Amino acid sequence: MTASVTRTAHDVSAQALAWLHAHRERGGLPADATAELGDPNGVYKPLGESALAASLVLRESVAGGTELRLARELLDFCWSQFRAGDMLYERQLRFSLMTDPLETYVPFARSGLRHAALDGLLAHTSALRSVRGAEMLPNRRLAVANAARVVGLDQDGRVYDWAALTRATWLAATPEPWLIDWMTGYCVTHTVFHLTDWGARPTGLPEELADYVSTWLPVWIDIWAEIEQWDLVAELMIVGCCLPEPHCAAADWDRLAAAQHPDGLVPRDGDPVADDPDQRFADHQHTAVVAAVAGTLAVSRTLGGTGQRL
Amino acid sequence: MSPDRSQAAYAASAADLALRALDALQGAGGTAMVADHVERTDDPKAALAAIRIVGADVFAPCLLAGEGLHPADAAAVAQSFAVFPPPVSTPAPPPAGAAEPWLAAWRDWGTASLLARFAGTDTGAMPVGTDADGIPAAAEGTERNGPVTAGVAGALAPRPTGAPQLAEAGSDPAETTWQTWSTRMGQLSPLALPGLESPVHAMARAAPQALARGATRAVLRRDFPTAARVARWLALLAAEGEPLPLDPAPLVEHLRLHGGGPRLALDVAIARRLLGVEDV
Repeated sequence: MTASVTRTAHDVSAQALAWLHAHRERGGLPADATAELGDPNGVYKPLGESALAASLVLRESVAGGTELRLARELLDFCWSQFRAGDMLYERQLRFSLMTDPLETYVPFARSGLRHAALDGLLAHTSALRSVRGAEMLPNRRLAVANAARVVGLDQDGRVYDWAALTRATWLAATPEPWLIDWMTGYCVTHTVFHLTDWGARPTGLPEELADYVSTWLPVWIDIWAEIEQWDLVAELMIVGCCLPEPHCAAADWDRLAAAQHPDGLVPRDGDPVADDPDQRFADHQHTAVVAAVAGTLAVSRTLGGTGQRL
Repeated sequence: MSPDRSQAAYAASAADLALRALDALQGAGGTAMVADHVERTDDPKAALAAIRIVGADVFAPCLLAGEGLHPADAAAVAQSFAVFPPPVSTPAPPPAGAAEPWLAAWRDWGTASLLARFAGTDTGAMPVGTDADGIPAAAEGTERNGPVTAGVAGALAPRPTGAPQLAEAGSDPAETTWQTWSTRMGQLSPLALPGLESPVHAMARAAPQALARGATRAVLRRDFPTAARVARWLALLAAEGEPLPLDPAPLVEHLRLHGGGPRLALDVAIARRLLGVEDV
């Protein structure tokens, strides 16, 4: 069973990565884009997500040579879109309270693509009480803390109070599992992603929460798979890979593989998929990112990887 | 009457009987509610079928509210077995046999077992004594399934073999997943009463997590009737002091406030009794 999970997860991930790579130009910034970004969720955020997928393929290094090459090229493409970090630097200069330049920088920094001026600016701004006190959802605070950890702003783990940040999340309340909703589902997945740094630190999830997630994750995957919410299902499958005792079920992988299109597109949900190539990419790029990450981590964990390789 | 129409008539009559059981459980007792149900109808056959659909839950007022079993009620339940006799030999458990006849055989066993007990044909005790919590002493004692009960019950409905099977993911996806298993346990919810004991009860005790997952899944799918049926088992385990992965009390209250229909109301009321939640 484990062998079949490994193979299916690899195939889904490799095809999703190849699809992201093949269509990467559709996700490029306009030539006249500035750091001001009228619509940061339009292209800027998706570029960071593609870079995240590529960086985790490279971090885990469990894919074949082709996939590693595609991941490197995809990462380089995204980095070039951000003008090798200049754009992130300019955006952080212009908007000191915003955390997205730091968060977007993470996959590049993780892969050795650094920007010296941005490093200096982030070290300054991220330590300011004004920035640290900016109001945001609890799981978003964990995203910032993990970003700081990966970029190297919190190397001794003492700058951020991880226990307090964790306690503020929905997950930490170990809530009634039968009242979760779609948006809260995403809050849970991201709480786990950041506490474990995307599966690199499974023990970053406190034991009580790991037990809770292990108990209810199969239910949540089941009910959202039934209504074909593939994006959330694949995020929950990443969560399974982040647990100290990973949950990687063959049936889940067979179902996601069946939903994947022959060209590698992974539909975000059960709605009809557009024919227009640009629209297809805009609609389903996030789910391809999620599927590539889920598959990469599933391969790694089923082969015995336990993270802690930072 | 066509089979479909008779099934609809049976279901409607079962809803009516469930309401009568609910009233009796909530203290509006003192009448022969099962016999009344059969007598005050223009479709006695449907009324007798309804007894078998509601099943052992017609004894819930006896088990949980300290009501005695009216002799006329005992006669009505016995008549239901005479008019709709169970198969002579019990159906094979799935996957060898079809699930539904086997589940029905289990429900019949539960009904026949409690009839034998409360009608006094096994021990002569009617009604059973209850302790200070309103839970029958039999539920907490060791005489969960005495040979006499099984023998007399067997005369009306023999005990089927097997119990719903649960396996680790991947071995037999369709038959033994927690999803299928918990749904079947919900279909056996009339057995989730104190004082009955069987391999089905042993399975419930062995798999509280699968029950809790099944109830959670049903709530999230807005399938409140199934959730309430599975919650019955969780409430029974809670009454027995078994540790559970979730607190059944808010779950049952959620179902009471969100669900509808007589069957769900009866399941919820029984679960509340098991949990010691007082009716307001």
